[in-house]
Amino acid sequence: MRYLNIALSKGRLTELSIDLFEAIGIDCTELKGSSRKLILTDEESKIKFFLVKPSDVPTYVEYGAADIGIVGKDTLLEEGRHLYEVLNLGFAACRMVVAGPAELQGKLDKLNNKRVATKYPRIAREYFEHKRKETIEVIKLNGSVELAPLVGLSEVIVDLVESGRTLKENGLAVLDIIADISARMVVNRVSMKMESERINSIIDGIRKQLEKGRLSND
Amino acid sequence: MPKWKIYTPEGVQDILLEDCYIKRKLEAKLRRVFAGFGYNEVETPTIEFYDVFAADSDVTPQETMFKFFDQQGRILVLRPDITIPIARIAATKYRDARYPMKLSYIGNTFKYNELGGGKQKEFTQAGVEILGASTPEADAEIIATAISAVKAAGLENFQIDIGQVDFFKGIMEETGLAQQEIEQMRILIDRKDFLGVEELVKQHDIPDALKELIFSLPGLFGSTDVIDKVEKMAVNKRSLKALENLRQILNILDEYELGKYVSVDLGMVQSLNYYTGLIFRGFTYGVGFPILSGGRYDNLVEKFGKKCPATGFSLGVNMIMTALDRQKIDFERHTTDSLVCYNERGRKTAFKICNELRRQGLTVEMDITGLGVEQSKEYAVNKGIGGILNVLDEENIEVINLTNGESVKTNIMELTGRII
Repeated sequence: MRYLNIALSKGRLTELSIDLFEAIGIDCTELKGSSRKLILTDEESKIKFFLVKPSDVPTYVEYGAADIGIVGKDTLLEEGRHLYEVLNLGFAACRMVVAGPAELQGKLDKLNNKRVATKYPRIAREYFEHKRKETIEVIKLNGSVELAPLVGLSEVIVDLVESGRTLKENGLAVLDIIADISARMVVNRVSMKMESERINSIIDGIRKQLEKGRLSND
Repeated sequence: MPKWKIYTPEGVQDILLEDCYIKRKLEAKLRRVFAGFGYNEVETPTIEFYDVFAADSDVTPQETMFKFFDQQGRILVLRPDITIPIARIAATKYRDARYPMKLSYIGNTFKYNELGGGKQKEFTQAGVEILGASTPEADAEIIATAISAVKAAGLENFQIDIGQVDFFKGIMEETGLAQQEIEQMRILIDRKDFLGVEELVKQHDIPDALKELIFSLPGLFGSTDVIDKVEKMAVNKRSLKALENLRQILNILDEYELGKYVSVDLGMVQSLNYYTGLIFRGFTYGVGFPILSGGRYDNLVEKFGKKCPATGFSLGVNMIMTALDRQKIDFERHTTDSLVCYNERGRKTAFKICNELRRQGLTVEMDITGLGVEQSKEYAVNKGIGGILNVLDEENIEVINLTNGESVKTNIMELTGRII
């Protein structure tokens, strides 16, 4: 049997993903160890895992280097890859928003030149150019995006918001919600066809786990 | 100093010796299959006017095309595709010809693709088109040709997924959604984003039965039972007709005895402007992208001024090569049968022997180094040449078998089987 390759996002999604795979009977002991190996294998179910940077997961999956991937919707939107997006795993939930000084509330379209600071240039462009039909100037940052409007680097920002605390403490407000974000399971388009039986059984298994989780939470 | 002179631009490749040999062989096999089905080959220009492709912006978006200008300032492109130029040919050069017409092509196309996984910016496409036939027989023949081509290329484990865009279009008619929302829905379904589909449907006032059907669309793939299952739920004439058409094509493919390669995916909805009926894609192990795709595009030729139904497919030759390589399928390699060495007394005879052996279909190399037989042995062994013919004089030849080192003396008559 061929190995199925699964790409997991390194970081806060890792543990949650491992829990899910363990719940459906895939051996993840190698994954939980502190090994420096890049590829970790469950010989029994013929599955190989690799841990990669979240923004690389869609790339591995699109090219077929991984059959399955677990990654945040934010990364999927930003990378814009050709994939099957088969499951919403529900965890790591947050929102992609436009935020700026509270006094801009409702006046976003009055701004003539919009400079948008963000870690997500593609999402920002997509939202402003296609949804709002407005031209923007994107300023790509790699962290602490909230700082940009405070020091005059940009008028607004596009960023992920979980509780909104950082925004509030810095006198910023959510001006519009772009999308709800959570972790997703993605599948390569060819693998979905060539390995449909095995992949579908993983999807079904995880779906059942998620439903169980939802019930016990209610 | 010219900085880039020793590099090639990103996305284009030198195809060298062995790879080039394999590629030519592969192209020859494809050409034979196409000709066997009665397709006539055409060659279209590498450079076309941008306008040829501009109308089909969803299959050839302008950002993906290599563009430049001619001396009059008109926009030119390197062809991103060969189907569209063939539609242009049909509507202009063969306006009044006898149809149906069956055309094939093999040629390089150009797109600003992202690289990797077998994708390049310059890549070879091979394909066929049937113009002027709207029967399911024509569609089935296209798929049969595609399957034969992939098999001839040496792949055994592959799958062709077929769908019908009119099924989706029929359902969408009933929802009353605006064009833009339909496109949004298409993208979600094509991505098998169940959640996204559900969210979008919920925002609209759509009858429950229809909602159920739309929810199920991304999951409607598998064996032909998918059609049975969905037939009961189909909503209008258009979508029922699409299913009927699909069933006919599948039945014909069963009679071709190709049923085992085919499965159904009703959630496969590529460009709605371009495709008008059947659509299909081919997959295999080892490459993350489809190796071929095709379908019916009845409105394309009309854009060039002639109403003409059409169906066809194209196959990525580089993608197939990547698949063959990853699946470790062995190829016939280029070989030289013998190396001919000689001294001055034997030169004239050596040329004659070469000609005769080449006439018999063998690959024969002449020793052009003038270093003599001992030095040539090393060259021959290195290149995998089976043996050396050392022409001693006008009559006598020494045959050296390089695999076991044996040598025998013979003469021209014995060697070539006749007087030359």
